[in-house]
Amino acid sequence: MATVKFTANLKRFYPHLAPQQTNAGTVAEILDHIEITFPGIKDYIVNEQGQLRKHVNIFIGNSLISDKMELSDPVKSGDEVYIMQALSGG
Amino acid sequence: MSESKKIEFSKQEIERYSRHLIIPEFNIEGQRKLKAAKVLVVGTGGLGAPLLQYLTAAGVGKIGVVDFDVVDESNLQRQVLFQVEDIGKHKVDVAIERLRGLNPHIEFVGYKQQLTSENALEIVKAYEVVADGTDNFPTRYLVNDACVLLGIANVYASIFRFEGQVAVFNLKQPDGSFGPNYRDIFPSPPPPGMVPSCAEGGVLGVLPGIIGSLQANEVIKVITGIGEPLSGKLHLVDALTLDSRTVSYGKDPNREEITKLIDYDQFCGLNGEPMPHQSGLKSVTVEDLQAMRENGNYHLLIDVREPYEYEIANLGGKLIPQQSIEDRLQDIPKVGNVVVHCRSGVRSAQTISLLQEKYGYSNLYNLDGGILAWARRIDLTMPKY
Repeated sequence: MATVKFTANLKRFYPHLAPQQTNAGTVAEILDHIEITFPGIKDYIVNEQGQLRKHVNIFIGNSLISDKMELSDPVKSGDEVYIMQALSGG
Repeated sequence: MSESKKIEFSKQEIERYSRHLIIPEFNIEGQRKLKAAKVLVVGTGGLGAPLLQYLTAAGVGKIGVVDFDVVDESNLQRQVLFQVEDIGKHKVDVAIERLRGLNPHIEFVGYKQQLTSENALEIVKAYEVVADGTDNFPTRYLVNDACVLLGIANVYASIFRFEGQVAVFNLKQPDGSFGPNYRDIFPSPPPPGMVPSCAEGGVLGVLPGIIGSLQANEVIKVITGIGEPLSGKLHLVDALTLDSRTVSYGKDPNREEITKLIDYDQFCGLNGEPMPHQSGLKSVTVEDLQAMRENGNYHLLIDVREPYEYEIANLGGKLIPQQSIEDRLQDIPKVGNVVVHCRSGVRSAQTISLLQEKYGYSNLYNLDGGILAWARRIDLTMPKY
């Protein structure tokens, strides 16, 4: 099982957002998985073409995913996947 | 960095910086580099307060301070450089006066203006390191691009509610190349409204104290060459759990080359990807709403803010928080005029778009500027938050 964690910023739209466990094999599958629990959340992470939004990043462990277009980066059991986004405040 | 060999210190300075001088890895060489350095701090807000104070106390030789704004009562919850008596005064004036009291050995240059595409290169080129503590995406992209064009390191930090980010962009590497920059990790800004500012969404007062201090630490590392600056890395902090992580990234091979400064308001407002669930919107002004009320025109007012916001100030509307709107459709008629409002007009616009697209509503009007506009233009006794 991999663990998916989210920037707290997404709690604005999904107040009950919490870390998720998943058996998904790729980043794209992870998003499909969390979409079931939090309908509509994918819209905040990917655009209409399914590509990663440009102010959003997904890290597996501490490394940025390499495929932002199709989100094909493999995820294995024990990985921690972190979804974050740009902040503007100062 | 600047030539620091010839830098000398007075007896008073030696005594002031003695706690630096006795650190073996820092010593008088590190202090010389600080004194020779020129740092531009963009923004004197939440991040600017600790950043400026620590850089000043540490002995950075020349510090430029950019901010067009004046001190507002709502700044005092976190911008600890300012006091009650400063409300209404230019932040740059107050900051420099206070910082001079902290360290008279520093040269300060104030820029009481907004950093723009027209003036950025001229201002930034006089410095060796820029610390970005601004509060909006257009200025962040502007600062980044100016630093890239001039070959200057950009020490970045940003905050929202309980979260903070720190990074060092465009740092010159030993081989003469430059490290990744802001556009390598965030190629373009979010659609307007998707990532609110602190003014829109709030920020824990102590958070900029934490993140701005980390930012000052990175500036000092970049100047003195000690430690490992956050080049090619992004440090993320969650104040609620105190979880922090340092993630890595490289140059984005698909990033367009930065060749000139552009219109950043347009870049952030018009070129962003469309916000989900948001299209054609009808709206009314607060003056329209006041007239509707005075003339007895039938309308239903719905407030999509949170209950704690309603307690701060309200217009007597029916409270249906944005998150529960789809569970309360029975309370929202499809006939008659329905005016929807929030704090500034962003959440209500999102709510209306959702209701229009998903549930076929056609009688909804967004209150432009939200309850803030009402407090500013109709009821001046109402608190703004």
